[in-house]
Amino acid sequence: MREPSADRLTRSGESQTRPSGASAEPGVPALTGRWYLRTLGAQWRSVLALLGWSVLESVPALVSGRLVALAVDRGFAAGAVWTGLGWLALFGALSVLGALGSRLVFHSLGGVLEPLRDALVTAVVRASLHGGDARWRPADTRVVALVTRHVEVVRDVTAGLLVQSRSLLVVTVAALVGMVGVAAGLAGLVLVPVVVTAVLYAVLLRALVRRQRALVLAEETTAGAAGAVLAGLRDVVACGAEPVAEAVVRQEISGQAAAAARLGDANAVRTLVVALGGLAPLLLVLAVAPGMVADGRLSVGAVLGVVVYLTGSVQPALRGLAETTGAAVLRLAVTLRRLAEVPAAGGADERRCGRGGEPGRRRGPVGGGRPAGPSGGDLVVRGLTFGWGARAEPVVRDLDLTVPWGEHLAVVGPSGIGKSTLASLVTGLLPAERGEVLLGGVAVTSIDPAVRHRAVMLIPQEAYVFTGTVRENLALFAGPGLSDVEDAGHPAGFSLLDNDVLLSGGPAEGLSSFDGLLLAAARAVGAAGLVARLGGLDGMVVPGELSSGEAQLIALARVYASPAGVVVLDEATSRLDPAAEAVAERAFARRGGTLVVIAHRLSSAVRADRVLVMDGGPPVVGRHEELLATSPTYAELMRAWAPGEDLYRSSR
Amino acid sequence: MITGWDRSSSGHPGDRLLWGAARHAPGWPVLVAVAGGTATAAGLLLPDAMASGVDAALAGVTATGELGWLAVVALAVVLGDVLGVLARARATSTATAWLRTSLIQHLLRLGPFGRFPEGDAVSRLTGDCAQAGGIATVAVQLVTSALTSVGAIVALALLDWRLAVVFAASVPVAARLARGHLRRTADQVAGYQRLSGELAARLVEAVRGLRTITAAGVAEQEARRVLRPLPDLHAAGAGMWHAQAGMIWRAALLLPTVELAVLTAAGFGLLAGRLTAGEVLAALGYVALGMSLVRATPLLTSLARARVSADRLAEVLDSAPPATGAARLPAGPGRLELRGVGVADVLHEVDLVVPAGAHVAVVGVSGSGKSTLAAVAGGLRTPDRGGVLLDGVALAELDPAELRAAVGYAFDQPALLGATVADAVGYGLPVDLDGVRAAGAAAQVAPAVALLPEGWHTPLERAPLSGGEAQRLGLARAIYRRPRVLVMDDATASLDTVTEARVRSAISSVLAGRTRLVITHRVSSAAEADLVVWLADGRIRAVGPHRTLWDDPGYRAVFTEAPG
Repeated sequence: MREPSADRLTRSGESQTRPSGASAEPGVPALTGRWYLRTLGAQWRSVLALLGWSVLESVPALVSGRLVALAVDRGFAAGAVWTGLGWLALFGALSVLGALGSRLVFHSLGGVLEPLRDALVTAVVRASLHGGDARWRPADTRVVALVTRHVEVVRDVTAGLLVQSRSLLVVTVAALVGMVGVAAGLAGLVLVPVVVTAVLYAVLLRALVRRQRALVLAEETTAGAAGAVLAGLRDVVACGAEPVAEAVVRQEISGQAAAAARLGDANAVRTLVVALGGLAPLLLVLAVAPGMVADGRLSVGAVLGVVVYLTGSVQPALRGLAETTGAAVLRLAVTLRRLAEVPAAGGADERRCGRGGEPGRRRGPVGGGRPAGPSGGDLVVRGLTFGWGARAEPVVRDLDLTVPWGEHLAVVGPSGIGKSTLASLVTGLLPAERGEVLLGGVAVTSIDPAVRHRAVMLIPQEAYVFTGTVRENLALFAGPGLSDVEDAGHPAGFSLLDNDVLLSGGPAEGLSSFDGLLLAAARAVGAAGLVARLGGLDGMVVPGELSSGEAQLIALARVYASPAGVVVLDEATSRLDPAAEAVAERAFARRGGTLVVIAHRLSSAVRADRVLVMDGGPPVVGRHEELLATSPTYAELMRAWAPGEDLYRSSR
Repeated sequence: MITGWDRSSSGHPGDRLLWGAARHAPGWPVLVAVAGGTATAAGLLLPDAMASGVDAALAGVTATGELGWLAVVALAVVLGDVLGVLARARATSTATAWLRTSLIQHLLRLGPFGRFPEGDAVSRLTGDCAQAGGIATVAVQLVTSALTSVGAIVALALLDWRLAVVFAASVPVAARLARGHLRRTADQVAGYQRLSGELAARLVEAVRGLRTITAAGVAEQEARRVLRPLPDLHAAGAGMWHAQAGMIWRAALLLPTVELAVLTAAGFGLLAGRLTAGEVLAALGYVALGMSLVRATPLLTSLARARVSADRLAEVLDSAPPATGAARLPAGPGRLELRGVGVADVLHEVDLVVPAGAHVAVVGVSGSGKSTLAAVAGGLRTPDRGGVLLDGVALAELDPAELRAAVGYAFDQPALLGATVADAVGYGLPVDLDGVRAAGAAAQVAPAVALLPEGWHTPLERAPLSGGEAQRLGLARAIYRRPRVLVMDDATASLDTVTEARVRSAISSVLAGRTRLVITHRVSSAAEADLVVWLADGRIRAVGPHRTLWDDPGYRAVFTEAPG
């Protein structure tokens, strides 16, 4: 199930060698048209096979006119019925051969399309997951669902191009070649109009593509505008804004209708060009043929053959090519462009790059030569400043803070003041605008990400759980065998098996020590009941069936079992009831290592060693009792939270 | 817009709607029909005209007349085709736009408590309107295909009746050859879609946990986990192509089979002198035309779908919107009176007076009917029983515009609409930036807006708002309207207690003397109110000051409910 952890570490190291502010991750290709062609090109063997079978498929088109000519000249016109029928029977047999060609084309289609889809899905998945933003925004999962549909569109359209357009092209060429064979003298009369049509069509294609794209965009904006109004119908009505809402949607609706009409006009012109291009050769041939037949330069059968080629193959194929290919190429282009925007679904484009220079990279021990890497070091913040835009006010301004190794710090303050941003800065997910964050004396952004990710763990409010076994979910950051290669190990002074909480339960008989570790972690944070209800470590986690509090318990147990020395809980217990929250927080406090709690409830502050108060002004740090006296904001927060309670009663 | 709409129609109630859409702008559907007729008639004449031309050519005669006729007929086909493309696009887009406009108007009139949820309504607006709007195109195409097929068979019979017989006999045989495979592939398609959906679901889960994945640097590991079903998908996809190969093989045999059969019969006709060489070609042409109905069978599905879509649209348009009045609201202090109000199973016999200028809190455990009470009290929702009076005037008799101007709503999860953040606050009214700023300051959201890239002018879609920020903007929107009555439905639930207290005092000074109805879960909010309404099971359990009610253990239990 699991990859060897050595491989995993190097892989994750590779993918994270840039600071998280970089926009392109190595190994995640940009999904451009060139990428598409290259991926398709990688399947050249299947593509060649496909082209080979197309030759077989084109045989009926190649010989149709000639066989009709022969059937008439040598058969029916000469009074030899059976000869004529013989030629027709041969045509029938060759039609079957052509159908066989179509069949083989489809057989080799899988060899081209399935690897293409695999590559596309892989690229999309990796782009979605590598594009992660350090700042929390509700991930637009609708976009993700749409993306997987786009992948299928690319596959289908490619299939359409490979089947229909290729076949029509092959048929046209084959029929033209066959016709030249039957009546070389008429070739010019046929080829010139066909070539002129093709050129004109190519010129028109630009306008067609542009108008079709405009229509696609108009459709999207109409659906978007209507969706926004209908989703907010309660608010529209409450604001008495029905006329405004209606006007907005109507405008989009008529815009879309106009775009559709414009596309219709372009299509009409295209139809005209292609129809005239198909008709002109026929009229020319029929105008010239009488003279040539009278001269004996052309046989009756040859004239018939040419007409068969023109009406049976060239005309329908031209029309088909014009109708299908333009739309298919456009759909492909539009869809690929949508796919190329995938990382935006995760918000990578809005990420702000750090202004500090490219940080140096160091691997290995950084905290006083201890093998535990940065674990065991103090967390020091100096002059930290960060804002979300050049014109926006900084969210964090000139913050100085030292969290000694092993301390339990709570961060409190009003909503939206930048507590989560601070969490991202402290864990190195966001580069600071000014100032620095040091862990064990080394800037967090310059610690090798592979080491940093093991040493510092952030648990966000929105817990990550996925469909899989409980074991898979809990072991996400602590795979078996990980400790063999991971020097960071567990935080200094922290050993799971020494922990009294664990000993009270003790690993059950017959469990591997790894399973024991996971179960112990679950028990410690108060998730034992949940794990039991799910059916133990082999039970299945189905995200939709868990409450958000249960999902948070899984996320907590997972990090508890990880080797991280610094744990940041960013409102990670917000969906637990106060008692369960206390259990989880105390478990992390006992676990050892540094604990930073971004508080959702003020009870978290009462439990901490020290509290950082953020209220937009200069940040204040102190013990609960001190802050009540020194920080008016803190005192006000506490009074509003528990009016009339004895604030000096510490729950610790 | 849809006046003259008859609600009594039965069977396919959408059929009348389709007629309505066609009649709304009859020019385009008529042109579609004319173009289709031209193309059909000329198309049927074409093989015959070509036969004459070819025969003349074979005879070595330069037949200007025949050639001219062929050119005229062929150009008529082209003209019909071109006009058809043009008119079809216009007819469809005009009808679709008309249907969409009617639908959005009616949906807005039905209001938020109609029986069409958002996703359903959007799919009707985008999908069903487009389907139904294409009705003229589909109908005309079906009719012309049928005419073409019938005409082609007649033309074959006119050439030589044996040809028509051979054609008619061979089509069903060939068609049967092409079928049969459809059902088997349907199973395979379902299997493929299931795997594809599983992969999508895994990706959605992972993207929901993106912050965890990014923070822990496990993107690659998680990508591999998400991609686990890929090999199975690959195999299912390959299987699908193989099945399709079989199907294509049979379909590819269809036309040649019929062509050969007719060609053979025509060969004998040529030999017997019944047909000329040109007429043999014409026979081939008529075979292709005769097959047009077979090719048009998917249109039958489109027709059925257009009618079903029209039914779904009619379902919306037939729902009666809540009644509204036209009375004007006289100036008044903002006294609300609920008389015997009941809503389905949610509220029962609620009698309540909200005194003018009072600050009244509504409390109760989840599901006790608080939000419904809020919606009814401000006229957002029409009660099933009883009525509501604002300063002595029944809400049901008021002009909706008067009512909305008098009552402001702020919600727990507001939907913010408009182009920019400032537009969202001034939504539905002229936007006065100073007023917007003042409302934002009162709602304590101004500092958060200052942090946005372009402040108040930041486009909404580029403003990353937290739940609390959105909530405060929604509050600012209600304050901006300076309503006579402000209804706050849990509108400060995401704010911490300090910010909430600031909001409360800001509103007290900005909207001094106005009536406030506040739904809340919090003790501190209830304690600040002049009067508390305690709801239980859709009925008023008690009304009184918080201090008085606090003695009741049942009342205190309302606030100890585990937080969501």
